[in-house]
Amino acid sequence: MELIQNLFLGFSIALTPLNILWMVGGAVLGTVLGMLPGLGPTTGIALLLPLTFTMRPETALITMCAVYYGAMFGGSRSSILLNVPGDGAAVASCFDGYPMAQQGRAEAALAISAIASFIGGLIATVAFVVVAIPVARFALRFGPPEYFMLMVFALSATAAISKEALFKGFISLLLGLMISTVGIDYQTGVLRFTFGMMELQTGIDFVVVIIGIYGLGEVFKNLENIASGGGLQPIQKKFSRIWISMDDWRRSIVPILRQTPVGFLVGVLPGAGATIAALMAYNNEKQLSKEPERFGKGAIEGLAAPEAANNACSVGALIPMMTLGVPGSGTTAVMLGALMILGLQPGPLLFQQHADVAWAVIASMFLGNVVCAIVNIPLAGLLVRVLAVPPRVLYPLIVALAFVGVYTINFSVVEFVLLVIFGLVGYAMKKYKVPTAPLILAVVVGSAMEQNFRMALMLSDGRFSVFFRNGICWVLFALAIFSIAWPFLSSWLKARKAAI
Amino acid sequence: MRTDCLVGAFAVLFGTAYTFQAFHLPRAMIGNPWAPLYFPLALGLLLVVIGVVVILQGLRHVAPPKAREKGSKRLIVFTVLICLGYTALFDHLGFIASTILFLGGLLFMINGARAWKINSVISVVFALGVWYVFEKIFYMNLP
Repeated sequence: MELIQNLFLGFSIALTPLNILWMVGGAVLGTVLGMLPGLGPTTGIALLLPLTFTMRPETALITMCAVYYGAMFGGSRSSILLNVPGDGAAVASCFDGYPMAQQGRAEAALAISAIASFIGGLIATVAFVVVAIPVARFALRFGPPEYFMLMVFALSATAAISKEALFKGFISLLLGLMISTVGIDYQTGVLRFTFGMMELQTGIDFVVVIIGIYGLGEVFKNLENIASGGGLQPIQKKFSRIWISMDDWRRSIVPILRQTPVGFLVGVLPGAGATIAALMAYNNEKQLSKEPERFGKGAIEGLAAPEAANNACSVGALIPMMTLGVPGSGTTAVMLGALMILGLQPGPLLFQQHADVAWAVIASMFLGNVVCAIVNIPLAGLLVRVLAVPPRVLYPLIVALAFVGVYTINFSVVEFVLLVIFGLVGYAMKKYKVPTAPLILAVVVGSAMEQNFRMALMLSDGRFSVFFRNGICWVLFALAIFSIAWPFLSSWLKARKAAI
Repeated sequence: MRTDCLVGAFAVLFGTAYTFQAFHLPRAMIGNPWAPLYFPLALGLLLVVIGVVVILQGLRHVAPPKAREKGSKRLIVFTVLICLGYTALFDHLGFIASTILFLGGLLFMINGARAWKINSVISVVFALGVWYVFEKIFYMNLP
């Protein structure tokens, strides 16, 4: 009963004209940004972040969520039409989406990707509603040591995403934590790493870091391709009715329903992310299929499964961010940062102290999925024209938007210099294949992590045993160790399987 | 792999410099004087250790020499210079004039002078459009 009441409260707030307007705007913008290769949901939200400073918290979060889902919906458009994924999560959509388009079935491919995303997102939102409150209530038991261990787990899981990039992931993570130590120490008033600069006393704003690394860094990387003559291929602009046949539906529905929970669970776990969810769903379906040889040659279920999984994953990823206050991915880290700027602290208390915001956002997830489906099915033919915008025009505009956005944080040009520096850092990280998500996560949670670490030690008179004071701490510690060991373990298991 | 060694070397150098700076931070006047130093010191030392591991990894996995990556850094260098120019001019010229010059500069650099019409139109429309949105809709003052 309480759940229904809360949902009604959420819908009554989410359905105000202003929120609907931003939801639609966010969904369209997200779809467009998701479509453009190289610009994923994180970059999209990062670039639009300054716009949310003037909004009410629930409107800001509703807009960001809409951009997030929009990007997840839109990411597959360029996978299908150009064989270039709009973002990492849409990689698996290239495998069968592009062959479908080449066989003259672009309409069915565009439709099923949106339908699968819609169903995946909707089921995941129902799961979110069921899970959110129990998780938030459980998290009320967390004190500083538990929070510190939770952050250790979230950060190490994000850094240890692959065996090859494990240590580079940790370098990224440590650099992020180092950035968060710049400025005044809140517990003792000591100035750290400010080098006598007044502007650094309040620390380095994470919005500058985020826009620099994702927005500018991405453009720098793409400028190299423009210089070397790279650009977009011509795309199909004329479509007949964007819809699917009964046979397509029959083939797709079970894979969609089967892979949605997989995507949702992967999303809840920190670190794994939508790309892994989509690839996992694709492989699962291929293994379960009676005709695995059709995969990679335009099998519609090979497109439907990863699309459902990556949208379910994006909803799942909001659970740790909203209920525990600890993000598990780059995108949710940006959203957490935005909420902190607006004076809200996501976490278990969000559902008690700001129930209106929390439930409005949950209600907006249902509405956002409907809006995204409307934007992405009937309007697909219109929106894909964005893919024809030449990168030579697009990238200078992104650079200019990044500067305008950063200026609105403190109305100071000092941030411009930091933006360029972080843009170059982002470019170098992409160039040398150092993952960027751990750095962003660490910048956002770094300060809270240090404060929890020191508060825990103060509580225990400096005894480190406080970090293992109960079962929760031990479980989180074990999960952190497991997440670091997993890349090694999985490659060992694969090697063993291959040897047999 | 050469890139791993470079990343590792950067981590070792940066970690060492950071640890050195952390060690020389002022001590706290209240409570444990070392309290604000523990966390940064741990981060710096960890970065050095991980940097060494990455270097060793890079030395162990010698990859076949790759073909030189295509791509030019010329545009990146010019973009950085134009961004710094924008930083210098922003407060003096105001938002509209400096943004027209900034975006125009970027567009001319990438598209060349031949596309002067489209470059100029985009720069002027963007600057005026953003100014209008921020001043009239969000009530944020731009210089």
